[in-house]
Amino acid sequence: MMGPSVPWYLFVAGALFGIGTLGVLLRRSPLIVLLSLEIMLNGSNLALVTFSRHFGTVDGQVFAIAVMAVAASEVCVGLGLIVAVARKKLALDVDLFSELRG
Amino acid sequence: MIAAAWLCLLAPLAGALAITFGGQRLSRRAAGWLSTASVFVAFGGAVVAFFAMVGRDTAAQRSELSTPFTWLSAGTFHVGMSILVDPVSIVMMLVVSGVGGLIVLYSIGYMEGEDEERRYFAYMAFFVFAMLLLVEGGNLLLLLAGWGLVGLASYLLIGFYHQRPEAVAAAKKAFIMNAIGDATMALGFFLLIAKTGTLSYGASFAAAPHLSSTTVNLVALGLLGGAVAKSAQLPLQTWLPDAMEGPTPVSALIHAATMVTAGVYLIVRTHPIFEQAHHVEDLAAGLGAATLVIAGLIALVQNDIKRVIAYSTMSQIGYMFLGAGLGAYANAMFHLVTHAFFKALLFLAAGVIIHHLAGEQDIRQMGGLKKFMPKTWLVFLVGSLSLVGVPPFSGFWSKDAIVATALARGGIYGWILFVAALFGALLTGIYTFRLFFRVFYGEPSALVLEHAGAAHGDHGHGTESATGHSEHAHGEAPQTMALPVAILAVLSTVGGLLQVAGAWHPFGRWIAQTGAPLVEPTTSQDWIVSVITVAIGLTGSWVAWAIYRTGRLAVPSAPGLQRLFEHKFYFDELYDAVVSRPAQLVASRLRTDFEGPYVEGSLVEIGHAGGDAGGLVARLQTGRLRVYAFAIAASLVVLGIVFLAVR
Repeated sequence: MMGPSVPWYLFVAGALFGIGTLGVLLRRSPLIVLLSLEIMLNGSNLALVTFSRHFGTVDGQVFAIAVMAVAASEVCVGLGLIVAVARKKLALDVDLFSELRG
Repeated sequence: MIAAAWLCLLAPLAGALAITFGGQRLSRRAAGWLSTASVFVAFGGAVVAFFAMVGRDTAAQRSELSTPFTWLSAGTFHVGMSILVDPVSIVMMLVVSGVGGLIVLYSIGYMEGEDEERRYFAYMAFFVFAMLLLVEGGNLLLLLAGWGLVGLASYLLIGFYHQRPEAVAAAKKAFIMNAIGDATMALGFFLLIAKTGTLSYGASFAAAPHLSSTTVNLVALGLLGGAVAKSAQLPLQTWLPDAMEGPTPVSALIHAATMVTAGVYLIVRTHPIFEQAHHVEDLAAGLGAATLVIAGLIALVQNDIKRVIAYSTMSQIGYMFLGAGLGAYANAMFHLVTHAFFKALLFLAAGVIIHHLAGEQDIRQMGGLKKFMPKTWLVFLVGSLSLVGVPPFSGFWSKDAIVATALARGGIYGWILFVAALFGALLTGIYTFRLFFRVFYGEPSALVLEHAGAAHGDHGHGTESATGHSEHAHGEAPQTMALPVAILAVLSTVGGLLQVAGAWHPFGRWIAQTGAPLVEPTTSQDWIVSVITVAIGLTGSWVAWAIYRTGRLAVPSAPGLQRLFEHKFYFDELYDAVVSRPAQLVASRLRTDFEGPYVEGSLVEIGHAGGDAGGLVARLQTGRLRVYAFAIAASLVVLGIVFLAVR
């Protein structure tokens, strides 16, 4: 099988995960945070698929599909919440959502 | 013999338990009779054991130790739950249960109408049990157990009128003073265990001559401390007069006839130890002599009928200590027995008077009672003559024997003790008949006329019982009170014939089976001393007669001395200044300077510190999602680095 070797794939997956993490940590808009989360998930999916292909088993690919399903449902809930917040005419800033600190 | 002795010991305990658990199901009267019956059963047991013992021939056969089971075991140290029946303990058993039974019987009349009669009778039966345990206990540890339990019973009964603050204070005082003695005794026992490994009488007495003199002196001092506290001798005597706050039968039983003489019993019982410690023996005799003089002097100026008798009790126990300290065990025990008779008689007769006068105890309020209470007059006269030591009453035989022993000891110390004892005899004559003439002669006071004159009316007893009310409309006292007094009067009259100096010594020979006397007066010394003592006692009585009956002599005016006596030689004030006040001062200083800032303050500080730490942790919980996410990410990174580094 030809193509780039495993480390390259893992490098891309790590880069995606890091970019997503930075997005989650640094951006304030909940929409962007959600997007960054998706990027992190995709990074991990890429790692799963890479290993699946490397070891010749399908486990990783099956797991990647499960992660996609989770990501999809998460986006549903997350976007729903964001729309609900926007409807209340509140500022879309994750730092302001801190009433539950107790 | 042993079975009867066990019955004697356990019957009062059973009585006390039955009254306690019977509670309200028993009528008040039934509680009184149950208590009386249990003590008389004990007396029956003691009598049976006594005759069984008389039937045996040698001293070795007459001493029997019974150990049903081992009570305590620690390594090689064992203590049995054992009782010892021998000539000394049987005498004590007879006195405790016999006089005790009479006094409990008397209480039925005296305490009638009290609110808490059942409690009283349960305590009385419990006391008799504790006292019997003390005298029957087969080793020093059981003796100490009985010693503590009689202290408890004494505390409970002195404080019986718990509504009165003075009674509660007196009870606490008695308990604390006795606790000092208990502590010194326990320390003596610890030392004995450390050195001999045993507390049984036989083994520890056998080991006593082989101990170093320091050890044996310390052990004897510890025992003497206990004896002095329990018997109200100098310097731990101040609790006894205050103990008169209890009901009068309690004063008669515990604080005259039995418990306070336990110190004498202790010295006689442990005489092999004391005989190895001559200085401690001399100290005991000296303390007895000092007490008998000082208590006699204080008794001269007391105005409470019971306190006068209480001081005379201290004084007479001083004689017993003198005798026991000199090694005249039989004479000391003999005086213990006769004293139990005549002092119980005096207290019970005083109780009749107090009962009759609605609780009045001040002799200045009395007078002229002879006309109204002729029978009480007679028994009080018997008791007084016996106390002063006029032949043929019992006190004569026993007291003279002790005074003669002091003479027989010889040496300067013996002479000092002898003179003190004679001086005590003079004082006894004066204070006894001062009391007698004050109470029975002279013009009847308004109080006497009111109560005694109206002997056929109703009267409650006022200050002693808050709500007491009784209707014995006939005679001077109800039957249950009159009978014990009469029996004790007979015993006080003839009891001295147990032993006649120079002629007839059954009692002396009996006690000598347990402890042979160290000093024995010759017959001529006995007779000379008898004449002198009687003459001195009668002189004292004559002085009292001249002052308080005819008024021919006036009380010598010595305000300084009088104040000294009235303040009881300032012992209470001394202890207050030396012990109580410094202790209070130290306690209050510790409270303000140590407990406040350090103990309590540190608790507050610990609380604050916890709160502050919580506040710090709470600040971590910001509610900001990004901070949490950062914390997770950062800790993952740290974990990853650690993971890689460790690998």
